[in-house]
Amino acid sequence: MATAVKIENLSKYYRLGVINNGVLWQDMQSYFARLFNVEDPNKEIGREEVYDKEGFWALSGIDLEIEQGDRVAIMGRNGAGKSTLLRILSRITVPTKGCFHVKGRIASLLEVGTGFHRELTGRENIFMNGAILGMKRREVARKLDEIIAFSEIDHHHIDTPVKRYSSGMYVRLGFAIAAHLESEILIADEVLAVGDIAFRQKAIGKMNELSKEYGRTVLFVSHMPGIVYQLCNKGIVLEHGKVTVEMCPVEEAGTKYLELIGTVE
Amino acid sequence: MVIMEPEQWDLTVSSRHKLLDFKLRELIRYRDLILMFFWRDFVTVYKQTVLGPLWYIISPLCSTLVYAFAFGNIAGIGTDGIPSLLFYYGGTMLWTYFSTCLNSASGIFLANADTFGKVYFPRLAVPIATTFSSLFKMLIQFAMLMVFLVYFIATGSPVRPSASALLFPLMLLWLGALGTGVGMIFSALTTKYRDLSHVLALGLQLAMYITPVVYPLSQVPENFRIYFYFNPVSAPMELFRIWFYGVGTVPNEMIMISLVSTAVIVFVGLILFYQTERTFMDVI
Repeated sequence: MATAVKIENLSKYYRLGVINNGVLWQDMQSYFARLFNVEDPNKEIGREEVYDKEGFWALSGIDLEIEQGDRVAIMGRNGAGKSTLLRILSRITVPTKGCFHVKGRIASLLEVGTGFHRELTGRENIFMNGAILGMKRREVARKLDEIIAFSEIDHHHIDTPVKRYSSGMYVRLGFAIAAHLESEILIADEVLAVGDIAFRQKAIGKMNELSKEYGRTVLFVSHMPGIVYQLCNKGIVLEHGKVTVEMCPVEEAGTKYLELIGTVE
Repeated sequence: MVIMEPEQWDLTVSSRHKLLDFKLRELIRYRDLILMFFWRDFVTVYKQTVLGPLWYIISPLCSTLVYAFAFGNIAGIGTDGIPSLLFYYGGTMLWTYFSTCLNSASGIFLANADTFGKVYFPRLAVPIATTFSSLFKMLIQFAMLMVFLVYFIATGSPVRPSASALLFPLMLLWLGALGTGVGMIFSALTTKYRDLSHVLALGLQLAMYITPVVYPLSQVPENFRIYFYFNPVSAPMELFRIWFYGVGTVPNEMIMISLVSTAVIVFVGLILFYQTERTFMDVI
């Protein structure tokens, strides 16, 4: 099997407390100092490392190799670094150290309905949101009927501005668009909590179909064990920004995760 | 396990980045998104309005009336013999184009934080789309100006467009790049220093009065003219009047300074924009 995603020594540092209390002039001095490799005139005496006690490492030294077709559940408690990892892989922010390589197109679903505009109709928003997710206009047009059918929005509502939609309709439409993305790799963060029970079942079914039938690589974060076991075949556990349970079958990772929680609490 | 050669990856993201990597190929791949943003800007502003795009023409006409009254009739500032309507309408049109390009580019990170925090796409798609929106609005206003111009020529006013007017698209590129470039610099800085958005609002309002928009350069006393060399918007303003109305003053040095500073500003703007794009979600 070939590797779809390779993560090497990935680390992310966040500063805590008051960010940006700096003075523009000082920041500029520091910036140019860094740029030209001279000593920062604003550096505090005795402070060698930029990464100090004021912040924390949301991720530190993650090494991971995900094979094509693997559906990986990323488990961990709140603040373990799951979302940070997905945000870096989705290119929302950059790593502080390390790097990652990807083979294929990534579609990331950190939220459904991103970029929906209240004033635009459902149909117009399908094109808008599709484009934001990286689809070509032609591609959206080709799948339009399928998307509308999946969202279960009737033909009166589809040409109505989404500001008149119920919240259920809104997320259903958002999910329907995302579910029709063509990509080799799918990153999803708790997006299956959409709509009512019936639609949720359908959404899970769709995700299953997408990942299993098309051999897609999936990275999935969810706190609902039922869904995780249904969708994923492998799992890892993150704790304090480090991988504590290496890649293994999802049931095994799940059991270890539950044990870990037990010991922590 | 197959060990892949580095060039087999479709994407590599690392903590280091090249200062001059503007990722243009990726931008081209997202051209449909640029079109969608452009279309959205246009459609959403005028939904639920009665007059719709007519507002594009109504607002410069209102400004023209007020400027003609305040600067022409009351202050008695000359217009180099150009009919008031043409003079003030043309000036307002160009200044609005410049300032809308600047304004919409400057707010990009703060205005789109929600979207940028959830999906990746080349962020530069947004300022490009907003610049096209501003351009489109300006072209509607320009069409109206051409109607006025024909009327004034037909009724024997002393306005003479020259063949250089055909270079107008280049001027639009120049002015748009300048506005968007300054805007991108501000967009990068305002994510960290929010005060700058207030500075910008005030600055833009006042900058119009130190630019030959509501007065021609010829009305500026000789000893003050040197300052206009440092305002890169002066040259296109005067040049426009020379090209379309046949009257104006613009030394070559002023054009050169403006062109060079436009190039520098766009370059710095792009670097700062890409720099900010990488980490602004952490500081916002």
